[in-house]
Amino acid sequence: MIVPCCVEVALTIPDNEAETALSTLRRLGLDLAGLERADVYRFSLDAGREPALEAALRSMETIYNPNKHVLRLREDAWPAPGELWVHEVPHAPGAGAPRREMRVAGRVLEGVHGVERFVAWRLFGAAGSPATAELVRRASDCLLCNPSFQSATMI
Amino acid sequence: MGILVFPGTNSEDETLRACRAVGLEAQLVHWNADLREVRAFAAYVLPGGFAYEDRVRAGAIAAHDRLMTVVRERAAEGTLVLGICNGAQILLESGLAPGLDGDPRPQAGFARNAPGGRFRSTHVYVKLAVPPSRCALTAGLASDAVVPAWASHGEGRLAASPEALERMAREGHVAFVYCDATGATTPHAIPNGSALGAAAIVNREGNVLAIMPHPERDGWTFMHHDASRERARGDAAAMLAPSGGTVLFAGLAQALG
Repeated sequence: MIVPCCVEVALTIPDNEAETALSTLRRLGLDLAGLERADVYRFSLDAGREPALEAALRSMETIYNPNKHVLRLREDAWPAPGELWVHEVPHAPGAGAPRREMRVAGRVLEGVHGVERFVAWRLFGAAGSPATAELVRRASDCLLCNPSFQSATMI
Repeated sequence: MGILVFPGTNSEDETLRACRAVGLEAQLVHWNADLREVRAFAAYVLPGGFAYEDRVRAGAIAAHDRLMTVVRERAAEGTLVLGICNGAQILLESGLAPGLDGDPRPQAGFARNAPGGRFRSTHVYVKLAVPPSRCALTAGLASDAVVPAWASHGEGRLAASPEALERMAREGHVAFVYCDATGATTPHAIPNGSALGAAAIVNREGNVLAIMPHPERDGWTFMHHDASRERARGDAAAMLAPSGGTVLFAGLAQALG
C-alpha cells in the first residue's frame, strides 16, 4: 500500500525570507505576530518505510543540512491550523505522476513513488496562536501565492 | 527618467548606459529615495537582478515596495514604465502587466523555466507580436524588427490560467515573442517554455511593458552575436555604436519626445 509521508525541513538559523515576508504582510495591513517557513516534501511511499526514508534523507544531506536545518516527519499530510502550503503547479502533463523509482543525489530512495514539494508558511495571529483561516487566506491572496502558477492549500 | 534600484538589483548600470546612449536623461533611484522626487520622473525603468533576493517569489516583495506605490500611481496617469527581466517579474507580480480589468493582484507570472526549471543564459531574438502602435515604447519600431537580447533567468516562463492566456492573446497583451535571427517563431527559439512564446507583456493602455530578455545586454555592436561584430572589427566607432537592443530604448526616447 502506498501512503503519503510528509517530511518537514526548517531552518534553525534566522530565516531572512520569512522576516521579509512578515514585514511586507504587516505593511499590507495584516495583524501578524509571527511567520515561520519550512519546506515540506510529501512523498508517496510504501507503507512502513517511513523510518528508512527519514534515515536516508538525513544521511544524504541533500535537502537537509544538519548545521542549519531541523528535519522531522510530520504526523499529517496536510496543513495544520494557521498554515499555508504553496506548491508550484507542474508545467508538463504527467509531471508529478508516480514513478517506479525515485533518485536523490544519484541514490535510489527505496519505496518512494513520487514527491511533491511545498513551501509551508506558518502564520501566527496577534495573540501568538495559529492565525485564523481568514488571515491565512488574506496572506495567500496578497503575497504568499501567485495563483497564475502556484496553488495554495490550507484548512 | 528614473531607473529604480531595489536591494538585489544588479543590471542598473548597463540599463543606465543604454538609456544615455540614445539620449535619455536618466538617473538611478534607490529604494530609500524621497518619494516626492520619485514622482517627478517622466518614465521609469525597472532593471534586472534579484530584488530582495527573490524572497517569496521573483519580484513578489519588490512589487509591494514603497517605490512601486509611486510607479502604480504614475502608470495609472499614463507614465511610461519598462521592466526588464527581474523588473518584468516585478511588473507582473504587481498586476501592472498585463493589467487585465485593472486587477491589482497578479493575473500572470513568470514561473520557473521549462523543461528542467533551471537558470538559462542564452542569446535570443524577439519580434513584435502586435502592431508597433499597440505599445508606446514600440511605436517607433518597424513591425518586422528583430531585436537581439540575452535571456538570463531561471523564472521566465509566462504562466497564467487558460482563461487569462486566452485573453492576453486575444486582447494583444503579448508584445514580443521569441523568434530566430530571421524572425521565424519556432519552439526552439523559446528558451524557457513560455506560454504563447511570450517574451514581453504590455498592459491594456500600452504604457507598461514587461520584457524578460535583456535588450541592454545586446545594445552595442561589440556585444552582438552575429556577423555584424566581425564586420566592425578594426573600426572602433562601428564597434562601439549603439545598435541592436538599444532600439527599445530609442523607442522609449521617441515616446518621451
